[in-house]
Amino acid sequence: MKNDLHTTEFYSDVTQLPLRPASKVMQLERLGSFHQSRLSFMRTLVRHMVTENWLINRVLFELDTEGYGTVIYEINAKYGTYSFVVFSHYLDPENRNDRVISNQWDLTMALCEGSVSQKQLEFLKANVPKQEAGRVDSRVLVLSRANRSARTFNYVVDSLAHGHQPDIDAIAEVGYLYRTTAAYGSGKLGMADWEKVWTKHRDFARPFAAEMFTCYMLRHFSIQQAEYLALQASPQTGVTLDIDLKRYIGIGNSTGLGMAPFLINHPLLINQWIEMRETAIATVVACSASGIDESTLKRLAESTGRVVQHLGEIVTADERQHKANTAVRQELELLYLWLQEQGPKLANNQYVWSSLIQYAEQHWLVETQELINTLLIELYPELVDRFEEQMWVEEIYEVTPEMMVVDLIALIEEKYDWALAIDFSLQESWGAFWYRSEEKMEPRLGRTHIDMGMEKEMPLGIGYRVRLCYDQLVGYNQSCSKQNVAHFIVKNPTFSGIVARVQTMALTYYGDIRENLIHQDVLPIHLLRCKLSFFGVSKFDPRSRLWVRNTMFQGAPLISDFDQPFKDEWQFPIKPVLNID
Amino acid sequence: MKVSKNELTASLKKAFESLGFQPGDYYDAADMVVWLETHGFDGFDRLLSVLNYLNTTSPSHADLIEEEAGKFVLDGNATSILLCGSEAVDLARSYAIQGSSARLEVINCYNRTFILQRLIKAAQRDLAFVAYWRQQDYCVKVSVSPRAELPVYQTFILNEQLDPQMLRIFSGANVAQLEEEYAEYLQMGAMIGDYPMEIMKVCYTDSLDQGIEIDVTLWETLDDLVSRILVKSTEESRAGAGD
Repeated sequence: MKNDLHTTEFYSDVTQLPLRPASKVMQLERLGSFHQSRLSFMRTLVRHMVTENWLINRVLFELDTEGYGTVIYEINAKYGTYSFVVFSHYLDPENRNDRVISNQWDLTMALCEGSVSQKQLEFLKANVPKQEAGRVDSRVLVLSRANRSARTFNYVVDSLAHGHQPDIDAIAEVGYLYRTTAAYGSGKLGMADWEKVWTKHRDFARPFAAEMFTCYMLRHFSIQQAEYLALQASPQTGVTLDIDLKRYIGIGNSTGLGMAPFLINHPLLINQWIEMRETAIATVVACSASGIDESTLKRLAESTGRVVQHLGEIVTADERQHKANTAVRQELELLYLWLQEQGPKLANNQYVWSSLIQYAEQHWLVETQELINTLLIELYPELVDRFEEQMWVEEIYEVTPEMMVVDLIALIEEKYDWALAIDFSLQESWGAFWYRSEEKMEPRLGRTHIDMGMEKEMPLGIGYRVRLCYDQLVGYNQSCSKQNVAHFIVKNPTFSGIVARVQTMALTYYGDIRENLIHQDVLPIHLLRCKLSFFGVSKFDPRSRLWVRNTMFQGAPLISDFDQPFKDEWQFPIKPVLNID
Repeated sequence: MKVSKNELTASLKKAFESLGFQPGDYYDAADMVVWLETHGFDGFDRLLSVLNYLNTTSPSHADLIEEEAGKFVLDGNATSILLCGSEAVDLARSYAIQGSSARLEVINCYNRTFILQRLIKAAQRDLAFVAYWRQQDYCVKVSVSPRAELPVYQTFILNEQLDPQMLRIFSGANVAQLEEEYAEYLQMGAMIGDYPMEIMKVCYTDSLDQGIEIDVTLWETLDDLVSRILVKSTEESRAGAGD
């Protein structure tokens, strides 16, 4: 069966397999429909922790009867030793705020290299609780903070203290006991640079691995703290959490606009993530060329059924997301039925996955299409897991000065046709602008000519900058033909940045995100979702078009599972069935 | 106090942005300062020496005033290499990369030591560079081999009447060829010092391991500059962040 996967000009460097074209993949709506996959950073981290059997011990647990105090876990990973330090503080519920501009939290945390001495602990105690207002040093890899869930934390503690397990539906509605609002790494606030982490701490030498680990440890602490408080309240009757409930508890996350500029400012890295994901999809499609065994089809049916249940258990007040979840469920139910009915017959068909993808593209929602891609990737760990080590790339943007101006014009026409197609004469095309607020430099979205700060606009309107550069190039070429880019930049030095970006990204498969980010109706939430999908979160719960809540590590193995046989199938968590008397 | 390379770079980019640098220029300028500081070339002192100038003038770039078969002359218009170093190196390499050698002079420019980072970066495209300039009463000469990560940095007694604000850059296939082809320009006086690559490496490794020592006053100066590109927060603007 003919499929556009086989008619594209793009080929993976890694596998020489045809990739989906950028014109399809790099649309913001599609990027905002991505779900986590085997290549997501949480999945990769968990695989490493479990298969390498990281040893994690509590070396200090000094909490008072209210749960406030200091806790240190020491981690012996494959290549090094690290310490996870938690400070638990009293927080007036009125001051509990998920926004980045907040300055008080229930918990503050640091992931440090090596063991922590008493002297270092005092230093951390003086600085970590201040977060952005404090300073740490290059022994610290990650700084983070979290707030208790007002809905679940006390409820779970009370339930356990009264000797019974919390109601699974109450847990399912929220999914976590704590919600993190930021995890800083990569050298912020004096911490270790990414280059140091990458070269010296191999356990975390993948993008955001240390940040994800911090959230994983937060989850572990949250459960231990809740159990500790329950037993403190009722030493005689208190119980610990059921093991399946523990696995079902994740960590909440609130992500706002701060994440959006990252995607625009790191296009090479984002291209790499997407290229690896697309390479995984292409690899999976290619392996179905000569048929699929029945057990693989059966596994797809099972995982489809699991996602249907997972989507049905998501609680969101966002009408658009709720409708999308419902529609995706309905479409996946059709897939499930098709697999049930046709499964045995499909086994001998050629390119079954191509046909499925093509059908989905013609009949189903973009979100369903991307969920199917995730499910297909899931079926072939032996083929796709190797790409996890290729999720990082050194980001060097540079001008190719010897390129002729006429060639650069042609390059823009070919690679940035999407930008040239935007009509910037329409006011709506530049109806929004991005700026940094004086409140913790928080990125914000303003309305052009309405809100203050336009003169301090961040240069995130890539499409608009390309358009201006293109017009300037065309004009220059008319007056100075046969000149190269170096000469153009000497005459037009303010365009050097966008020229470097265009020339660099033109060498990649996927290039820039194809969206006008200064359009008045821009939906930044798609940017957030895209990045979060690579993190590996689930249960997206948009709170507006500018921020989203989600769940991390829900369903993931516990530390006590590390030395047990491991099936890497914790994605799309569903409510466990508890055997409780 | 100590800062990381990443946060220093981020702060410098924003600081240069606040001084009117454009995207591209502020990336390059930040990289130039960080490279010097992390390799033991007193990047912060050199930055301090130019901040006041940058703070009181609008950013200006160099003009190409002479061009002839691989020979270029740029007039720096009294600006800093932070603003015209990239275009100078790009112009030279645009010619050299096609197989010939290039000679480029930037006249009337300042802070030429910052050019080091641009030469190292450009050398990664398999080109060699030799550059020299007058520094007070001696001459600094820098040689970078193709794909080298560090330069040969030497100082010499002046043996010609060098314009105090001129920078000469030569680019070609390899350093030996450049030395031979441009021998008439590269005859230096007696060598009076060099800066071993080993020390550059140690400086860089220490910067990464321990962080970069920065004077609190300079850090605060950068913070002040950064604050210029921040927008006052209001209840209304908080709505633009999701509230």
